[in-house]
Amino acid sequence: MARRNERAARIGSRAVQLGFLLGILALWYLATNRWGINRLLLPNPIAVWQQLLDVLKSGEYLPDLRITLTELVAAFALSMTFGTIVGYFVSRTGYTIRVFEPLFAGIYSIPIILFLPLYILFFGLGPASKIALGATISFFPIVLSTIAGFGNVDRTLVTAAKSMGASDYQLFRYVLVPAALPVILSGLRMGFTIALLAIIGSEVIASLAGLGHHIVQLAEGMDMARMFAYIAFVVVIAGLLNGAVSFLEARGRRRI
Amino acid sequence: MNPALRQFLLRHGGVVRLGVVALLLIAWEIAARWFIDPLFISPPSRVLLSLGAVWHTNGVPAALRLTLFELAVAFAIAVVIGLTVGLAVGLRPFARRSLMPIILLLYGLPQITILPLFILYFGIGPASKIAFGVTHGMFPIMIAIVAGVQNMKPILLVSARSMGASRWQVLRWVIFPHMIPSFFAGMRLGMSGALLGVLLAELYVSTAGIGHFTTMFTENFDPTKLFGLVAMLAAMAIALNEIVRRAETRFSRWR
Amino acid sequence: MTTRDAAVHIKNVSHQFGEAGETQYVRALADTSLDIARGELLCLIGPSGCGKSTLLNVIGGLMTPTGGAVEVAGKPVRGPMPQDIAFVFQENALFPWNTVLENVRLGMLFQGVPKSEHETRAKQSLEAVGLAEFAHHYPSQLSGGMRQRAALARALSLKTDILLMDEPFGALDEQTRMILGEDLSVLLSQTDKTIVFVTHSLGEAVFLADRVAVFSARPGTIKKIIRVDEPHPRKPEFVTSEKFAALRNELYALLHDEIRKTVAESARSPGGS
Repeated sequence: MARRNERAARIGSRAVQLGFLLGILALWYLATNRWGINRLLLPNPIAVWQQLLDVLKSGEYLPDLRITLTELVAAFALSMTFGTIVGYFVSRTGYTIRVFEPLFAGIYSIPIILFLPLYILFFGLGPASKIALGATISFFPIVLSTIAGFGNVDRTLVTAAKSMGASDYQLFRYVLVPAALPVILSGLRMGFTIALLAIIGSEVIASLAGLGHHIVQLAEGMDMARMFAYIAFVVVIAGLLNGAVSFLEARGRRRI
Repeated sequence: MNPALRQFLLRHGGVVRLGVVALLLIAWEIAARWFIDPLFISPPSRVLLSLGAVWHTNGVPAALRLTLFELAVAFAIAVVIGLTVGLAVGLRPFARRSLMPIILLLYGLPQITILPLFILYFGIGPASKIAFGVTHGMFPIMIAIVAGVQNMKPILLVSARSMGASRWQVLRWVIFPHMIPSFFAGMRLGMSGALLGVLLAELYVSTAGIGHFTTMFTENFDPTKLFGLVAMLAAMAIALNEIVRRAETRFSRWR
Repeated sequence: MTTRDAAVHIKNVSHQFGEAGETQYVRALADTSLDIARGELLCLIGPSGCGKSTLLNVIGGLMTPTGGAVEVAGKPVRGPMPQDIAFVFQENALFPWNTVLENVRLGMLFQGVPKSEHETRAKQSLEAVGLAEFAHHYPSQLSGGMRQRAALARALSLKTDILLMDEPFGALDEQTRMILGEDLSVLLSQTDKTIVFVTHSLGEAVFLADRVAVFSARPGTIKKIIRVDEPHPRKPEFVTSEKFAALRNELYALLHDEIRKTVAESARSPGGS
């Protein structure tokens, strides 16, 4: 009896979700085609779809995509390297954790995007400022999770390994890293997601190139259909990237 | 090192932290004064001294007030929407199953991509900043409320019912008090979300808010004033965060 | 016993945590001296906080005592001596991300056993503890008793002369303890290791040990040493014998007052043991 209710609930909720999606699309279509909403506010969904196909076919997105991805990779490489290294060294003693962890947590609690104008002033409008900001913002979740990961390794495991004669290197490789890895990986995933957001965000706000900038260009040109298409495209790209990183994180955790 | 000093430092980590911050400020001071072009960076001493000048720049205090106003309104609306939707979804298991994935999906979207759209719809005035703050702030609140309802121990509801409590009484005396810590946690996240949304919109385009002045100082290559303004905003953000965090701790004491 | 026969020579060891006057000041162990013979199984028993685990850590080189010294196999103990001493802890000492077999092999890697011997030694020790079929299981898939068997296998594979066990069955239920105790006795009768075993359980101490060192309340020191004259391997029938009951009663009498003292002390100063 309970199982039948369970299945009914599952199907029911899926139906609601599907209905929601279709409902939105239906409303959108009706609004533009039947109810005469201004095309300059809300473009025809069919036009958006056609523009999307055109963007994909023409490859117009390629240079922007390349710039955004380059910025992302560079920023994440920086924050991953510095974040894990600094995090490891801070985690080595309870004292350094007590001193530095609140410092990092405190800075992370304010919207660091606030410093974007400073980075623009210093690095200019080009990719460097995006990379710098992306690296800065994503540094914090990575360093904090590295500290947490290494800092919370069960002391008994360390004692046991040392009692069996493990060298510092062996301790690090066979005990500390596997123990800390799940937490660190989740921090890296968060850092990646945040770096992507920060980079697209700074491209929207102040940039000469990149995916975010292209959306702004289309907005200023009032090319609504194409802009919607581009937004959809960027959202999908972001979703794919985040999905890939989540997948890698799950893979990494299963190994352990 | 003098053992008494060492003991003192070991016990008061906060002092060492201040020391680290001081060292960073000194490094910044030296770099800005002697190594880097003054067009791009300004030493903290000069920034500090010119804070007054920033304050007296025409329109800056009004801009700060305006930004706080945008934030307050955005936060209020986000709380109302977040609370209503959160409770409506959280209290009914079927609603939670069907609607929660949608909420999470929307929450995960990079909202920054539709910022230009918000500007087109709401204009370049405060309305767009408020709207963008609302969309950033309401989702964390919804999610926190739903989570709070979910981790309610069923045994508490059962024992209340067994003592004859009506549905309304259960809501008022069991569910509501249980929810308060989650509510405040959500408020904290909602506040940072709303702040983020308002700031992003301000930095994008602004005629009278602080975004206007950050743009102005940047274009005029005036790092001193820019650093000063950003420092003021950062202080404001820290203060707000601290206030909400204190409220959260105070109301979550039973946890 | 001359110091030359002694596998472990404990000389006036005492230990305190913190300095007198500080809030964390604890005198864990008062002046303790003891010689442990080669091949004997010595139990340390006493009330909570009497310093028996501290003494074990000092013997094993995991802690440096604030007073006195320990000699193992003629050498002064200054740190862990993985070639001579192996540990079995109460719990959580198996690496959860490795299988049972990998855990055993890792121990040998740390000690420096040549790779060619890993496979044979691992198989031997896993068979000895009865876990041969579970070699590729993860600790989370095993019961508490099996996890401790695995920890024992790891320690055995290191082929040290001395085995230090800190309440290895403390986290297990009574029935598992009984079985493991019997199996341990059989196992150890087949080797000539020197074993120091910390426990809270009176029955366990009498069943396993050649000698039982009874500790006083904190600051602990050895109140009395009781000899258990019964050949190994100890049979299950020993537990129901009169000799067993008499020894157990003697232990009980020695410990009861110390335990009461400890409880009264911790009620007075709830800093815990």
